[in-house]
Amino acid sequence: MQDLINAVVEMNEDDALALTRKYLDAGTPPLQIMDAYRDALGIIGKRFEEGVYFVPELIMAAEMMKSASELMKPLMTAEEGQGSNKVGKFLLGTVQGDIHDIGKDMVHMLLEISGFEVKDLGVDVPIQRFCDEAKEFQPDIVGLSGLLTLSYESMKQVVDALKEAGMREKIKVIIGGGQLDDHVCRYVGADAWVNDAVAGVKYCLKWVGK
Amino acid sequence: MIEGWENMSSSQKQEVFLAKWASGEGIAFADDEARAAYQYRAGLIRDAVKLKKTPDRVPVVPLAVFAPIMLYGYSAKQAMYDPHILGKVLVDYSRDYDVDATFIAPMVMHGPALDVLGYNLYKWPGHGIRDEQGYQFIEKEYMKSEDYDHFIADPTDYWLRVWFPRTHSALKPLAQMPPLYGTMELPMAGPWLCTLGAPPIQEALKALLEAGRISFEWIQALGPYIGQTFGSGYPMCAGSATKAPFDALGDSFRGTTQLMMDLYRRPEKVLEAVERLVPLMISMGVGGALANNNPLVFIPLHKGADGFMSNEQFNKFYWPSLKKVILGLAANGCMPVCFVEGGYNHRLEFLAELPKGECAFIFDRTDMARAREVLGGKSCIGGGFPVSLIITGTVQEVEQETRKLLDTAAGDGGYILSIGCAMDEAREDTLKAFIQAGKKYGRY
Repeated sequence: MQDLINAVVEMNEDDALALTRKYLDAGTPPLQIMDAYRDALGIIGKRFEEGVYFVPELIMAAEMMKSASELMKPLMTAEEGQGSNKVGKFLLGTVQGDIHDIGKDMVHMLLEISGFEVKDLGVDVPIQRFCDEAKEFQPDIVGLSGLLTLSYESMKQVVDALKEAGMREKIKVIIGGGQLDDHVCRYVGADAWVNDAVAGVKYCLKWVGK
Repeated sequence: MIEGWENMSSSQKQEVFLAKWASGEGIAFADDEARAAYQYRAGLIRDAVKLKKTPDRVPVVPLAVFAPIMLYGYSAKQAMYDPHILGKVLVDYSRDYDVDATFIAPMVMHGPALDVLGYNLYKWPGHGIRDEQGYQFIEKEYMKSEDYDHFIADPTDYWLRVWFPRTHSALKPLAQMPPLYGTMELPMAGPWLCTLGAPPIQEALKALLEAGRISFEWIQALGPYIGQTFGSGYPMCAGSATKAPFDALGDSFRGTTQLMMDLYRRPEKVLEAVERLVPLMISMGVGGALANNNPLVFIPLHKGADGFMSNEQFNKFYWPSLKKVILGLAANGCMPVCFVEGGYNHRLEFLAELPKGECAFIFDRTDMARAREVLGGKSCIGGGFPVSLIITGTVQEVEQETRKLLDTAAGDGGYILSIGCAMDEAREDTLKAFIQAGKKYGRY
């Protein structure tokens, strides 16, 4: 299915969808087609990391993946649809008081491409909700996003709340946003800070030993 | 009109407009000392943006929106709903912090006008966010992909009859209004006028009138404080604002996700749309600058930053139309001041294409040593100080960092000391330390 892989990698959206249909019609098992998509996403992720691909390609890749999944989901068992071999669990959200989501959504897409199971709580997420969801979801990593400077305080409060709940030791915390740096990272008490999604995913892969 | 204006180069026109602004003409100064202080401060900025060696030091211009309000113990909501609070803060902040150019108080906007319009494009205090917080943009697909042709053919008609109804709930009925072109002839004028009489459209127009009325009242109340600020010697850091065409399209119309996909799905439409926005963005910047007698046109840059797209995409979709806006503003005697959000480490060479001294760049997270290296002697640069340090650092750290930044970026002129973002919050001790350190160590 090299033609399908190439179509996805080269952003030929229409061809990718047509080829997916063609393979499905020819009786190719959906799981095999999914594997081809996964291979393509791997190459896209690599190009993203190398600074060849950027936000437009990432969004296009996610969009192609979504269209393909919609075609194939009815043909797959629930278990197959879930996918397996996740490298780790990631709890993600934009912190209380901030409604910016572009950066968070980029990270979400890249993490999925990289094999993480991501639970995305959305934007303006209350402190307590991060804590409750962390108890429930048991993530390896919590990612706090925020573009505004007022997110510093919310991020700090989430980290403090995780400490108080006795979960901080088991969970890595990474913060991401345009106005973050070493000063903020120390203030918040996070394990790492990033201004871009690729750097964030690199930390996460390192933490889960991949 | 200035004599010989038509025959002047862009740079000469900028010199003339800057000189006019820096002279403080038309301002009722408290006394001669205030006049001299105004001329000195504006003069520092005039010389920096035109790349002249400043006589004694770098101008210190921290950009801010809500930070001054918070520093005086008021909430964002109070400032958005009471022009006297906003005005008082403007006067006090300018004096107490003694900045070389003060924040643009009208950018805080008037909440009641937004209430009347059912403004959906932002959340503001009391509308989806806490009273203490500054407003935040809500990005959505306000323009559908199939709307490109309408937008390109007639942006104003699109704005009025499609975009307004989607972004202002009180103006929803304007979607039912026919285009106004029939008014060119008596027999064809009927449909437009009759539709204006329909009750929902009457309600929408009433809302618009009311929003205008209370905004006028607001600016009447705020005006004297602005006059007092100027009169005591403090210029404002911009006369107007405009946008890069790609950002205008991405921020307020298509949304990031949709626009980024458009680069693959309908690249020609994107190019046509940004091109169509060029004259609109120029006239918006020029109009405000002339009205306020201040040539500095603020252009916040968003979606062309490092990481958003490749250099190839930047060079195709983002830069050409922005460059035209910059050159168009300069050709009208305005001085574009791009506020370069995020990092621009991979784009500096593009910025270096501009003619010498016709545009200034205030950076956020760009490597200032490289910015100086690539743009030094070509364009005025500024910014580069992390807001995080103002909020979480100590006075000592702020002083050290300011000194370090000045050593790196101030060169022998053509530099404005600023913070890398328009601050919504700050601390008194660190912000004052930043300003004082800038004046002390920024001497040439």
